[in-house]
Amino acid sequence: MSDRPDIPPEGVEAGEYVLGLMPDADKAAFEARLADDADLRAEVLEWERYFAAFAEAEVAEIAPPARVETAIKARLFEAGGASIWHRVGVWRALALAATIAIAALFFWPASQAPGPAYEARIASEDGALVLTAVLEGDMLRIARLAGGVAEGRSQELWLIAGEAAPISLGLVPDADAAALAVPEDLRALFAGGVLAVTDEPPGGSPAGIATGAVLALGSISET
Amino acid sequence: MPVMSGRAELENLIARTVLRDRAAFGALYAATSAKLFGICLRVLKDRAEAEDALQDVYVKIWNRAGRYQVTGHSPMTWLITVARNCAIDVLRRRPRDAGGDARDLTLRDPAPGPEAQAVAVSEAGRIVACLGELEEDRSAAVRGAYLEGETYADLARRFDVPINTMRTWLRRSLKQLKECLDT
Repeated sequence: MSDRPDIPPEGVEAGEYVLGLMPDADKAAFEARLADDADLRAEVLEWERYFAAFAEAEVAEIAPPARVETAIKARLFEAGGASIWHRVGVWRALALAATIAIAALFFWPASQAPGPAYEARIASEDGALVLTAVLEGDMLRIARLAGGVAEGRSQELWLIAGEAAPISLGLVPDADAAALAVPEDLRALFAGGVLAVTDEPPGGSPAGIATGAVLALGSISET
Repeated sequence: MPVMSGRAELENLIARTVLRDRAAFGALYAATSAKLFGICLRVLKDRAEAEDALQDVYVKIWNRAGRYQVTGHSPMTWLITVARNCAIDVLRRRPRDAGGDARDLTLRDPAPGPEAQAVAVSEAGRIVACLGELEEDRSAAVRGAYLEGETYADLARRFDVPINTMRTWLRRSLKQLKECLDT
C-alpha cells in the first residue's frame, strides 16, 4: 500500500509538508485540515523540530556582513524615522507664538502621580549620537551611549507630540547619565510621541523653539 | 565562534522583541544571525540572495515574534524554521533553472562538523543518527529537500529515477525516520 505513490504512509504527510514537497493543490488541502486538526498540527511541529535540530547540528555558522543588520534596521525602523525627520521641517514653520504657548506647559507644576513607563532610543541617522531615555514616574532617565556635546554648544531634548511644536524637556548634559524632571501634563503626551535632540547655543535655545540642527530622533514606546 | 546563547536568554530576547525592544532584537540578531545566515547560504548558495533572505528572516522575526510561543518550539527551532522557510521562498521565486549551475558546484553533503559530533545524545543527535540509518541516497534526498529546497522533480532528476519512484522513496524514508525517532 505504502508503495503506491498517491497514498502517503501514515504520519509522513506532515513530513512532506514540512519539507515543502507537496504540490500546491495538496498543500492548500493539507493546510485546510491543519486548521482544525490539533494532532496533525502536532505532527507538523514535531517534524519542524526534528529538521531544525538536524540543521542546527549540520549547518555551520557564518557571520553575515554588517550591511545586512543595517539594512534590516533600516527596513524596520526607518520608515518611522524618515517621517519624523521630515516632520521636523513642519514644526520649524509653526508660529512662534503658538510654540511659546505650548512650551509654557513645561513650567506647569509637577506631580508625583505614577503613570505608564515609556522609553525611546534617540539616535542620529549615522548612529554617531545615541541616547536612551526611560520615563519612570516623573523622571526621564537618559543614558548617553554614543556621541558627546560639541564644545561651546548645548544639546536640548524636545518632546514632539502629534502635530504640535516641539516642547523643550531641558538640556542633556555631556555625561553618561542624566535625569530630567517631567511635569505631569507633558508625561501625558509621551504616548506615541517622539523625542529629539537639537544642537543649541550654550544654555539652550533662547526662544523656546528649537533653533539648531536636529541631531537625533527616536519614537517613544511604552515599556 | 559567534556568541552562543542559552535557551532562557534567547526566550527572554524574543519576549522583549514582542514588546518592540530594539536593543533585545539587536542582541537576538547578534546571538543568532550567524547560524541563520549559514542556513540561508546553504539553501541559496548565493551570498547576495542569502543576505536578502536574511533580511526577510529578521523582518519576519520582528513582526511575528508574538507567534513564537504558540508553536511551543525552542527558540532555535523557531528561528531556524523561519530562516529555512524564508530561504526556500526566495529559492522558489527564482526563475526556473537560473541557479542550477551554481547549485551543482557546491558540496551537497559535507561531513558533519564538530557541532554535529558533539550532540550525540540530544534530539539533534537522534535525527542525525536516524538519518544515518537510511540508505545513503535516501538520506541525501531528505537532506536535499530540507536544506536545498529540492522538489520531487529536482530529486528525481538528481537520482535519475521517475518522480513517482522518488516520491515513494522519500515517503518510505520519512516513515522509517519517524519510527527511528519515536523509539
